Amino acid sequence: MMRNTRGVDRKILLMIAYRNLVSKKLRTALTLFGIAIGIGSIYFLLSFGLGLQNIVTNEVIGNQSIKTIDVTTPNSRIIKLDDITNQRVGDIAEVTTLGKAYFYPGSFRLSNSESDAIVYGIDEGYEQLTYLDVIEGVLPTQAGDIKNPIIINIAALESIGLSSNPSAVLGQTLSIQVPLEKVSDNLEALKQEFTVAGIISSGGGPEVFVLSNVFRELGVDAATQLKVGVKDVASIEMVRSQIESFGLETQSPADTVEEINTIFRYFNFMLLGFGGIGMIIAVLGMFNTLTISLLERTKEIGLMVSLGARSIDMRLLFVFEAVLLSLFGAVLGIVGATVLSALVNWLLNLLAGTRGVDGTFWLFSYPWWLFVGAILFMLFVGFVVVWLPARRAEKINPIDALRRE
Amino acid sequence: MKREILYEVDGVALDFSVGEQHVTAVQKGSIFIPKSEITIIFGPSGSGKSSLLNILSGLQKPTSGSMKYKSENIYTSNQDSLAYYRAHELGIIYQTNYWVKSLDVLDNVALPLYFLGYSRADAHDKARSALERVNMQSYTHKYPYLLSGGEQQRIAFARAIVNDAPVIIADEPTGNLDSKNGDRVIELFTEFQQNEGKTIILVTHNLEYLPIAQHLVQIQDGKMTQIEHKDITPTVKQLLSDVQNRISTLAAKGAKK
Repeated sequence: MMRNTRGVDRKILLMIAYRNLVSKKLRTALTLFGIAIGIGSIYFLLSFGLGLQNIVTNEVIGNQSIKTIDVTTPNSRIIKLDDITNQRVGDIAEVTTLGKAYFYPGSFRLSNSESDAIVYGIDEGYEQLTYLDVIEGVLPTQAGDIKNPIIINIAALESIGLSSNPSAVLGQTLSIQVPLEKVSDNLEALKQEFTVAGIISSGGGPEVFVLSNVFRELGVDAATQLKVGVKDVASIEMVRSQIESFGLETQSPADTVEEINTIFRYFNFMLLGFGGIGMIIAVLGMFNTLTISLLERTKEIGLMVSLGARSIDMRLLFVFEAVLLSLFGAVLGIVGATVLSALVNWLLNLLAGTRGVDGTFWLFSYPWWLFVGAILFMLFVGFVVVWLPARRAEKINPIDALRRE
Repeated sequence: MKREILYEVDGVALDFSVGEQHVTAVQKGSIFIPKSEITIIFGPSGSGKSSLLNILSGLQKPTSGSMKYKSENIYTSNQDSLAYYRAHELGIIYQTNYWVKSLDVLDNVALPLYFLGYSRADAHDKARSALERVNMQSYTHKYPYLLSGGEQQRIAFARAIVNDAPVIIADEPTGNLDSKNGDRVIELFTEFQQNEGKTIILVTHNLEYLPIAQHLVQIQDGKMTQIEHKDITPTVKQLLSDVQNRISTLAAKGAKK
């Protein structure tokens, strides 16, 4: 028997589906509106959840690189972060940078004012791996000709009442005192004068930073903390386990990020649940439209089958209608949600400004995968919703359909 | 010239149930449809004409018997092949004009070509030619359901010829038309049969059109009776005379009252 080898061109089915939707303007517009509300509410709430997650992550992690590991010793008398240990850590294949920090409680004196502070001795590696937000001057390793450079944070300046004009402090002499007796019995206290080379905003409490060799020259042979830079986030776990096998303790910003992500995963699911209510309305609207369309077009389907359309073509016709509704509805919803979120963000910034908040913030996040995911999700919903009407369209008997009045 | 047989309907019957009632739409019988001739299937309303036409159109599998087209039993094929048979071999015209309402005249006429896999541009070219042949070329971008009954029937005719199918099947094509428009549609059928050698299968209960046929199938309460070519003229005369007698009897009864 003869066989149709070509089949109907999909573009023509798409055209017929499109024409049918356009011919029922009000119904199609209302259905699209329903879908837009459903998917738009999900997109709006998720972009809010993700934006909030970003803000929280940035606040907690700050500008620390996530590809770093902080290494400390559980007992500095037994396992020391000395040159031998540092060498072993530095030799791990995935380690790219190694920074050393010595830090002890001490005090500083500047312009006849004195305050307690944590005194850090840092090397170039530590500087690279830690984001020290310089607002005036330079970092210790970049100080060049400045003799005995030191940088001081705003919190330290606040503690002595000099934070109003930080640049005035640059070049001034600052003396520090750090008792090192507790570090090792035979060490003398650090008492030295430095020149302020830079001012940073980082850090919650008073902190000052000098070069690490200041402590080395006094005979401190072990660092307080190592900062290890690794090639990529994926290798963090492996490097950590190797370092821990040396008897050392590790911490990574990735831990915090993971905890934040876990919390927000639940939060976003909750938001998804709220958005789902809108989605149910959209699904019902779409199902209603497709079912009415099927009932109205029973004769048309009967006619097309009698003229040579295959049953599968009739099924596809409805699938295409659902795809068009889903696609346009999703794009409309996403655009609407983006505009609404921009408006909400602007209003919140305005409100925050009147309450004395400096700077602006962006409360929403629109990653590409959320956009693609929302469209794919809506298409999936469309396929599920159209399943029953499309199946019924496929099974329409043309004789019965054309006999109907 | 030797007569060629296009359809062989052999021992075909069609039964179905409506609720608890058993209906025999077509009683077991055999007929044939000759190629390149006009065959008229006639009979009173509800006699089974449309059921027979549905069987010939590949839309209704008979309960028993075989229906061969070009010596092949089409009902042994799958649904896709039957769909191809309808799209490629048939042009179909119904009494009521059915349209895809969202499409204009041009796309409606092009529908059978779409189902054959034509591109839209190629299908439009052929649809324009078909509309020209029925003098409806200026209606391409109108919506068919907004046109008059006569205009719609001509567009339906264009749709039936657009795929250049060898067979045109028409189910009461003049049923909803006045006599003038009905005659014009019948003229189109005879023209296509004579000029292009199309096989026309016409279902009607209007006896006036019987003389255009070269082959007749009478159907009464589902029973098919074939009237050979040589018997057509006397049969038509007899039928028309019966009708005339009935009218006279009814008129006389009316006068007595």
